[in-house]
Order: sequence, then structure tokens, then C-alpha cells
Amino acid sequence: MVTAQRKPSLVVIQLSGGNDAMNTVVPYTNGIYHDSRRAIHLTEDNVIDLNGMLGLNPSMGPMKSLWDAGKLAIVQGVGYPQPNRSHFRSMDIWHTAESDHIADSGWLGRTIRELDPDGNNVITGINFGRGLPRALHAKGVPVASVGNLETYGLMPDIVDRMTREMAVDVFARMYGPDDTRDAMLQAISETGMGAYLGADILRTAPASYSSSIEYEADVPIAQNLRDISQVLLADVGTRVFYTQHAGYDTHAGELENHAKLWHELSTAVNDFIADLEEHGRGDDAVVMIFSEFGRRIQDNGSGTDHGSGGVAFVLGNPVKGGLYGEYPSLDLSEQVEGDMKFNNDFRGIYATVLDQWMGINPQVILNKNYEQFDMIRR
Amino acid sequence: MTTTAKPRTTRLTYNRTIGVAGMQGRGFYYPWSVAVAADGTYFILGRGSDSDPRGVRMVAMNLEEEYFGTFGSFGEGSGQAIWNASTAIDSQQRLFTSDDHLNRILVRTLEGELLDTWGESGTDEGKLNGPTGLAFNSKDELLVSDHLNGRIQKFTIDGKHLSTIGEFGSGDGQLNLPWGLHVDGDDNLYVADWGNDRIVKFSSDGEFLANFGSVGRGEGEFDAPSDVCVDSDGYIYVADWGNQRIQVLDAGGGFVQQNEGQATISKWAQDFLDTNVEESAARDASDLDMDLVFNTDDPHERSAHIEKLFWGPTSIAIDNDGHVLVVDSNRHRLQVFNVVTAG
Amino acid sequence: MASKDVKLMAHLMRRAGFGASRERLDELVEQGYDETVESLLSAVDRPTRMTDNLIRRYHPEYSGMMGNQSPSGNWMYRMVSTDAPLREKVGLMWHGMFATGYSKLANGKVLHDQIRMFERHGMGSFKNLLTELSRDPAMIVWLDNSENHNGSVNENYGRELLELFSMGVGNYTEQDVKEAARAFTGWTIGNTEYMTLKSARDSVWPYGRLSFHFEYKEHDHDSGEKEFLGHKGNLNGEDIIDIICEQPATAAFLSRHMYSFFVADEPPVPEWPYKEPRDPEAIAALSKVYFDSDYNVEETLRFLFKSDFFKSEGAHYQRVKSPAELVAGVLRLTGEFDRPKVDMNPTNLQSTYMGQWLLNPPSVEGWHWGTEWIDSGALVERVNFASERLGNIESPGVQTLIDRILSDGNGGMNAEELIERALDELSVSDISYKTRSALVEFAEVQVNQSDSGKPGPEQVANVLKLVGATPEFQRA
Repeated sequence: MVTAQRKPSLVVIQLSGGNDAMNTVVPYTNGIYHDSRRAIHLTEDNVIDLNGMLGLNPSMGPMKSLWDAGKLAIVQGVGYPQPNRSHFRSMDIWHTAESDHIADSGWLGRTIRELDPDGNNVITGINFGRGLPRALHAKGVPVASVGNLETYGLMPDIVDRMTREMAVDVFARMYGPDDTRDAMLQAISETGMGAYLGADILRTAPASYSSSIEYEADVPIAQNLRDISQVLLADVGTRVFYTQHAGYDTHAGELENHAKLWHELSTAVNDFIADLEEHGRGDDAVVMIFSEFGRRIQDNGSGTDHGSGGVAFVLGNPVKGGLYGEYPSLDLSEQVEGDMKFNNDFRGIYATVLDQWMGINPQVILNKNYEQFDMIRR
Repeated sequence: MTTTAKPRTTRLTYNRTIGVAGMQGRGFYYPWSVAVAADGTYFILGRGSDSDPRGVRMVAMNLEEEYFGTFGSFGEGSGQAIWNASTAIDSQQRLFTSDDHLNRILVRTLEGELLDTWGESGTDEGKLNGPTGLAFNSKDELLVSDHLNGRIQKFTIDGKHLSTIGEFGSGDGQLNLPWGLHVDGDDNLYVADWGNDRIVKFSSDGEFLANFGSVGRGEGEFDAPSDVCVDSDGYIYVADWGNQRIQVLDAGGGFVQQNEGQATISKWAQDFLDTNVEESAARDASDLDMDLVFNTDDPHERSAHIEKLFWGPTSIAIDNDGHVLVVDSNRHRLQVFNVVTAG
Repeated sequence: MASKDVKLMAHLMRRAGFGASRERLDELVEQGYDETVESLLSAVDRPTRMTDNLIRRYHPEYSGMMGNQSPSGNWMYRMVSTDAPLREKVGLMWHGMFATGYSKLANGKVLHDQIRMFERHGMGSFKNLLTELSRDPAMIVWLDNSENHNGSVNENYGRELLELFSMGVGNYTEQDVKEAARAFTGWTIGNTEYMTLKSARDSVWPYGRLSFHFEYKEHDHDSGEKEFLGHKGNLNGEDIIDIICEQPATAAFLSRHMYSFFVADEPPVPEWPYKEPRDPEAIAALSKVYFDSDYNVEETLRFLFKSDFFKSEGAHYQRVKSPAELVAGVLRLTGEFDRPKVDMNPTNLQSTYMGQWLLNPPSVEGWHWGTEWIDSGALVERVNFASERLGNIESPGVQTLIDRILSDGNGGMNAEELIERALDELSVSDISYKTRSALVEFAEVQVNQSDSGKPGPEQVANVLKLVGATPEFQRA
């Protein structure tokens, strides 16, 4: 069992598909909003008011309590120059933090390398979900991908407990040190041993966890945040947590689908913060929520198509709540090809979190200086 | 671009295109089959896709593109489907769908309320291995293309096995991965014998009557036909799926006409273009009907490049007003044709 | 215990294909090594109508290519079902070398078209292949040649053509890059604006994806005089390719790629300028065949597969399986995809989880191979996939494996024999003492679980799982 000193942790939640910023933080007093969103607008009657001009989507009640507690920062008008409206390219730009060329490593992969340069802990960074998002990828940086914490590990398909334990034990022996192996097999077996140890550590997290918080069942984002809480509370040295919430590509039936997504997410995030609080760990984590792009100002009759200019959230006890940046103007003259014009480079948020929260020189990770927000309590 | 063969007779003329790509609400994601209710409503069954199953649903609309709603979803639960395959409506206006993965038939009201689920996996008589095409005869008996078993089975509407037609093979009366079905006014059965590249006609009591066509790209030849229907004059309309066209045959199987598709912008498509003006402008500045030379004789290639052509026509049916509806699957729309009756 | 001939045949089939069952290996040994090489090389013109029709009927996404999994799922099914595996392997080699990705194109069909182009031209003349590549719509958009105009040169394609696709860094000047780029001005796709806008917006509206087509725009081509690698004239793209193909650097670069892909892992390309090839003589010999055969890939591969450096035991298992090779190899053994099935997409995703999303490489550099395939997350995925599939008694191929293993020991089978048989069936020879002794101990418990002293199907399946989990199974 590895124990590590408690250090600041970062939880990143990716909203896949392009979250509609305008129906998330709603400019409900703006006439252009209502004119452009004839089919899918939200009204003063149903938004959750923030400041008399902007309101949260009605499904975001649980986020409002974080707002009221001063723990929720809303960054408006987030984007990057020459917006790309392809899911894949735009997500890649967010992942690599490089907008003008295709880069080969992710900003969090580089962050993990900075946190653990020798790769001593194979679970410094964990993705909760299958496969490795590019954000976490960097050459030589070990990152675990956990589909389901309960069954995570080697050969989870073996149902019989005794047989699986034996199989995993045999695995550990097969991948143990052996001088007679050539360089290739040596490298493979060393990695295997790391995987075995990481899985062994993670296995202990659910067992040592208890909480009064009941995350919503059958909601993947809720289950993933519960898994994150379990690992965070287990103090095994994980500093970067990553997960996704999918379905934001709301070209049709947006009102209903978007509300369902934000209900799930807001509830799960609020539960997560409450869970940390319950264990006296609310000060240890910052959550960042982003999406690859926003959506068009004008609706298409039942939903919205790909646009630019998004909204991001940073939240947790260490965060100074409030609105950051400016809400982009909806005036026709200010629109970019029918989209909101960004006024905050997303890398400014990365820089803020890296510098003010994780204590890492952001220039090392982002290759450039970006203007930061004064967002973290020190 | 003109069609490759000069039609001898014109039986079909293009009317319009309806629908648009869409995973939710208005639109289709790989539409697969269509049935028409007594009140004229079109029920379009979506196959969906492997990585985005939201298209696994039914959409109700009409020729004027009025949208009436959607029901059904992906899954193995009650009323759900994994691989939607075909749909048909009986005389009591019950809506049947087949699922060639779960080996079952779902029965619904036209409003989508689930009435019944039946079907059992297997190879024995009465069991199903990949039910695809569906069609009713005049006695409200349901014919099911039990395609991996290489046969057509006849059931009562509640799933009691009545008889079996055909067997696996390539000879007369044999079938290889059959797909779409049609029953004509005399209760003769037409089968799109996909794997044998032909249409097979059986009598109402299941006797083999005729084969139409053989493999090829020429007139009256087929590449893996997916569906067939017959009009009141006996003309046969074939969705010649692998050849990316429809063909019209006379009652004896003689070639009459072919059409490779001539889709135009539907109302729903126009709504998209109106919202996305830059895309619309770039589109207007393009030549989407260009003459290209391909390195293969596979028409799939042409259809991938030229938008108006059929690309994966999976189903063909006639509505209550005599329009021929072609489900143009890879292009997420239906192309609609008028039938021209002689003199 | 496998004979030397069987081991050699297994080696050939792992490299020129995705492995073969033990039963098939015996047949091939019977047929003879050289004959097998010939049949692998000549099996390039197989009819594909039925395979294509089957994929398109059951998986519309792999036909209409709307989703981001469509080109890789289509390809994986063809890798698993093909009877001409070398063609798909060569396609994988070119895809690694000419890596083009979904992230920028957002159009599965044009990526699929590129792989089909590799299948048509990948075994012919390298010169012809480079010409086809330069005309390939996916490549043109991927490396911005659609932005490469007369009077406003975009060097991206010109540079990568020299650096990554033919000669390697250090064999040309910056001026050569500029001149090559100029020569490829006007090589673009039709309806450029609409097609690239649809990609940039990832738009499937109104009617799904449209495939791209090559278009040469004479008026946008810079027809001025150029000087490239010492050749002067009004050079066009074809002339640049002619000159490239004549270069010894091209022969050496291509030979090293072929060696690394088919014989033994070389370090990733960025290290090549600083590290000697593992076997410089082999590279020289391959380069000679390249020139003697007029840049013919098939001839070069024929020489390679029949060479001593390939056949030598020193080359056996000297490659780490790529994720796609691992997935396809396991699925060909288990036989679960005798036809398209619902599971095809989740199964194809396994390769992505292991770090190789086919047709969506991390960058134009492609993937770093060798031990770089294996980080801890990827290894967990590899082990779990192989062990789950190889131990699944429901799969027809696994049933065959179990039957063959059990049929061997009528008088009972001890743990050592059981492991020996399982390793033999899965063509895992050359196993370390450490692995073997751990396996034998596991097998002892399995054998003891049966009353007869002879393991049953479940115990054999458990042993197959563990063989799939060995460090040795990770190698090709």
C-alpha cells in the first residue's frame, strides 16, 4: 500500500460533443438570444438567475448551490483563435493545448511528467473511462485507464475469485525480474509489473471507502465521479483525474436532451464535492469542466449546430466563485460566422490551474505564457 | 450526368426527396425500411450505427415532411432493438418490426405502444435466425425472411408458425441470405434473394414460380437486391442495392426501366442550409454532379461521391397514393417517385 | 513440440499475415516455404464483392462512413476475414508510414479510400505508389496541399514527402523542400472549399458524407523553373517523385521501414539519423533489390521473406505486435467473426484502447512502435483482451484449440505437457524459464481440479487465457 502526502489534485471533466454555452449560461434578458433561439430558448421564468442578466439552465440546480457557496467560477467566452468546428480537431486542440499544429502530446500528460518525472507512481494520472484521451498522453508517461473501478485490473473476466487471484498471482510471477530475457522482454515485463502494482493499489480503494453520499445509479458520470472520489480519498498519490460526459452534440431535440445531461452532471458534481467535504477533503481538489466548442447562436429548428465560443467551469473549495471574462456580444456585427466570438483563450484557464493550484510553471506545460485569472484562494 | 441506359418505357418519374440526416428528432440515421399506414403516415425504421445507436428508432412523418414523432430505442430491453431490420403494418394497423440480432418481432400500435414481442432463436421450424424482411398477406399472416436460416417462414400475428418456404441454396426455390419481401394482390410472395442476386417468386402456398435476374450490372441484372415491391398492374420494383439503383421489371420479369437516383433538397435539408449559410454558400459554389472516372466498377464508389445518386437503397414500397418510396440509407433520406400509368 | 519447419512457418505467417492456427501451419509446411511465400504474394487480386457486400449490409456505418469508427471497423473486419492477409499487412505498413488521420479530416470514407488505394497499389512500384499518394484526397487535405497555391506555397506536403515518406531527414536541403512544394501546387481536391468546410465543421448534413476526388488545377500550378536535388527544369510533381525514387537515401529509408515492419523492430524513425540499422547488410541487400526491380515492392518483399536474415531464428519474435495485429491475430484464432456481427465495433475499439486507433494516428509521424506500444494502461488492455478471447469456450476457434489440445493426451496429461501443447497451439515458442515455470504451476492446479488427472475444457481454457497473458505473447 502506497501512502502519499496529500497534495492538490485536479479533476478534469470533458463534455464531449460541444456543449451549448448559450443554453447553459443563458443571456435570458437579451433580445437577440430570443430571436435567434426561436425553437429552443429558455425564459426568465425557468432559468436559475445569477445576476439579473444571466441564468443557469433550469436543470442545473445543484450547481447553483455551489455558486451560492462561492465555489463556482464560470469562465465566459472561452475559445482559441481561428475556431475549428470539427469535434475531433477541436477536441485535439483542447487536449494538446496547441491550436496551430497537430501536436504529439497532451497537456495533462506533460503535467503528469512534471509531477512524477521518473514515473515512480504508475497512477499519478488516471483516466476514468476506456482508452487514453490525448490530453493524458505523453511519451513514456504511464497513465492508467479505469473503465470500472470495482472490476479494474488484470483478467477481470475470470468470474471465479480463487482462479482470478491465482491467475493474477501467476501474472506477477511471469512479469517478475528475469536476467535471461532480452531487452524487449525486459521492457515488457517491467511495464507489466508496473501495471500489476497499479492495479493492486487501485483495488484497495473501493474497499476502504464509505460515504453517506448516494451517487445516482446507472448514470456513468455519477459513477465515474464516485470512483474518482474513492481513489482520491484512498491517498495513493493520484494527482490528475480525468473523465468524460458524452452526448452534448445536440443537433436535435436539444431542450430535453441538454437538460437531462446537465441534470446528471450538476447532480454528480455536487455530490462529488459533498463527498469530499464529508471526508474533510474539500480543500484538496479543483474540478475543471470544458467542452470542445460551443454551438451556433441561431437554432436549426430543434437543436443547434457546431459553433464556437464556449463556457468552462472551475469549482471546488479552493476556487473563488464568480463570473470570469465577458459574455460575448450577440450583436450581428460581433458574431463570427454566426457564432459567439471568444474573448478568453482556454489556455489561460490551464495556466491558472497549473500555476495557482498545482504549483507547476505553466510555461513548461503550455510552451507559452497565457494570461491567468485570479481564481484560486491562496 | 444521364442514366446509363435509355429507358424503353417510362414507368417512374422523380417526385421529391424527403428527410435529412439526424440522430434525434426530425431526421434519420441510416433509415432501413418503410411502411405506410392506412391514414397515409410513413413509418421509417432506422438501423442506426455501431458507434451511435441513437438512430435505432422509428420516425413517423408524411410526404409533406410533417413530423409526427419518434419512438423506440437501442437496447435489449422491452420494446428496444439492436439491429432494426424491417417494418410492416397489418390490416388492423398494428406496426411490426424485426430485429435480426435479437431474433424477435415487436408489435406496436401506430403511437408506439408495445403490444407484443415474440420470436425464439434457433434453426428448427418456427424459430428465427436473423429475421429481416416482413410482409403481410391478405389473411394477415406475417411472412418473415429468416435470413440466416435461408428460408421464409409464415406466422400468425402472434407468432404461431404456419409454414416454411424455401431453403438454403442457389437452385430453384432456394435462398441465400434473403432480405426484403413483398406479397402481391394474389398473395404471391416475392423475395429479394440477396446472396443469389435475384428475385424469387413463390405462389401463395409456397410453390416456386420463377426467378428474375442474375448477377451483373446490366439491365435486368442484380447485385445483391435488398427489397422488392409490386404495383397493382403487376410491375415489379427492385431495390438493386449493390448496383445502387432501382429497376422496374414487367410482370414477366422483363426489364422496363432503371433509375440511379436524382435526389434534391428536402424541406428538412433546406432548414439546415438556411441556418448554416457559409456551408450553404460553399455548397452552391460546388459542382456536386461531376463526371468522374473511378478505378473500380463498384457503383458504391460513384454513390459515395455524387450526392443525388442512391447510396444503399435498402427498402422500396408503394404508398396509398401510388408513390414509390425508396429508402436511401447511406444518404439518410427517401427518394419518392411517381408511377406513370400508360394511356 | 513444433518442428523447426513449423516454427519458421509460424514466423512467416505472423509477419506476412496475422498468424495462423497450428492446423493451418501443418498444411503450409506440407505445401512448402517458398510456395507459401508465393501464394501470400500473389493473393492480391482476390474478389472482394462478397466481403464488401456483407460488411455494408450489416454495418451501414462501415458503408456510409458517418461515424469516426467506420473506416477502422471496416478495415479490422477485412483483416480478420481476409484470405490475402499480406495485402492488409502491407496496407498497415503504408498506413504507419503515410499516417493520415480522422482528427483533421472528419471523413471516414476518404480514409477508407486511402487504405483501398494501398491495397491496389501497395505491392507494385514505389514510384507509382508515391504518385497515387500525392493524388490521394485524404493526404491532400491532411497535409494541406489543398492550401498549396501558385504564388502562395504551403510546404507541408513537400516537406513530409521528403522527410517521412521517402528519404528521411538530412538528405535534402530546405530549398529542396520549397521546390518540391512548388512542384505540387495545383494538386488538390475538387470542390475544395465545400469539402474542407464540411470537414472543418464535421458536418454530415444534409445527406451524410461526400467522398473527395483528386483534381489537378493547371492554373494554380507553378510552372516556373525549379531546382530539386540538382535537377533543373519545369518540374511537376511526377518529376519530383521520379527524382526521389532514384535516390539511394530513398532505397535505404524504405528498406529500413520494410525491415522494421517485417523482420525486426528498428527504433522509431526520429532516432534513425543517430542510430545505425540493426542489420546494415540486410538494408543494403533490400536496397539493391529495390533498384534492380525498378522500385518494385513485391519483388523486394519476395527477396525479404526468402532471405536468411528473415528466416534466421535471431529474427523470430523480434517485433512487438501492434495493437491492430494483436486484435486481428486473436480474432482470426477464435473464429468469432465468420460474418459481420454486432460486436465488431466494440471489438475494433480494443485496438484503440491499446493505443492504436487505426486511421486516426496521433500525428503524421504515425505511431511509435516496438516497446513504445506497451505502456502500463495499454498492457492491461492487451492482456485482458487476449486472455478473455482466447479463454472463451463459446468461440468456435477456441473449441477447436481445446479439442486439439485434449485429443493429444489419451492417457492423461500432466501440467508440463498441457503447457507445452497450449504454447504450441498458439505458436508461442522461445519462452523464458520464468514464464514457463509460472505457467506450469498454474496448470498443475488446473490439472488437479479434475478427478481423472486429465484436464477438462474449462481448465484448458484457463491455461489458454494465461498464455495470452504472457510477456512472450506480446511479440510477433
